[in-house]
Amino acid sequence: MTSTALPETTVDSKLRLFWQGTIAMLPLSIAVLPWGLLAGSFAVEAGLTPLESQALSAVLFAGSAQLVATGMIKAGAGLVTMLITTFFITSRHLLYSVSMRGKISPLPLRWRLALGFLLTDELFALCGQQSEKQFNRWYALGAGLSFYLIWNLATLVGIVAGNYIPSLNDIGLDFAVAATFIAIVVPNIKSIPVLVSVIAALILSVSLALLNVEGSLMYASIGAMLAGYFTELGLGGKA
Amino acid sequence: MILLSILAMTCLVFLSRYLFLEPRLPLRLSPAVQRLLSYSSPAVLTAIWAPIVFTHDSRLSIGANNPYIWAAVLAGLIAWKTKNVLLTTVVSMVVFLILNLVVWA
Repeated sequence: MTSTALPETTVDSKLRLFWQGTIAMLPLSIAVLPWGLLAGSFAVEAGLTPLESQALSAVLFAGSAQLVATGMIKAGAGLVTMLITTFFITSRHLLYSVSMRGKISPLPLRWRLALGFLLTDELFALCGQQSEKQFNRWYALGAGLSFYLIWNLATLVGIVAGNYIPSLNDIGLDFAVAATFIAIVVPNIKSIPVLVSVIAALILSVSLALLNVEGSLMYASIGAMLAGYFTELGLGGKA
Repeated sequence: MILLSILAMTCLVFLSRYLFLEPRLPLRLSPAVQRLLSYSSPAVLTAIWAPIVFTHDSRLSIGANNPYIWAAVLAGLIAWKTKNVLLTTVVSMVVFLILNLVVWA
């Protein structure tokens, strides 16, 4: 990532950065495989056609919102209910969007649209803590696009294989997501405010999850950001 | 009808991802807001991983027989020492699967 600071223009370096992004995303791409399979097989099981099932991944492209939407379609929920629930699940993307504003908003429209569409939890995990100098559009595109393709391939396999897939939930592959995020967060705890923010996020998110609060991720995140920020102010602005 | 619902949800999700990336949106982030946003990455990521590790079926799970906690502690240590995401993920995942599928099966 040290070489990404300067604007590089050759096709070769663009490809290299695209590939670096793909590699950096690999642990998360692998971790998402079982969820992609599940999204596909669950959609077919819920009575969606193969085309509709694939469209959920190809067009909507939002893991948790997809699974919840599928569940609601199966249950015969109305469109308004689905939209309100989707809004709660997707509201965290507003936070990613505002955090990435400095890096992505100066780019041309086609880059903004592409990276905006690809702005998942996983892409934010990789690029969220990069500085504006470190951020590179080709690296981000490699990370986001490879993740998109793998998510859609996994969905396709889920649609085709359907019921033959054993319940992958039971073996606990969700730990791969936790492991990757821990691996990204821990090395970035370099100051007391960041440590306070992480501890606040931990306590708030677990408490709100236990209380089944809708949109708990958003509340826990904002609470933790405030905790970090006010700690920083309390320590005299030394981050 | 289902395709229309999917399209409607797509609009909502895309809008939430794109909204603040639009330069014509008249929004200037003050230095204070920028400092606040600098905590967004550790805050959001922790708010995603912590419930995976510490809750199970909407119940608190912090006993010594919870493989998620042991593997998470290991992941934290490896990440702290090596700063290598791939190594951390692979090693802690293997240990987790052994604990989950063999030791406490």
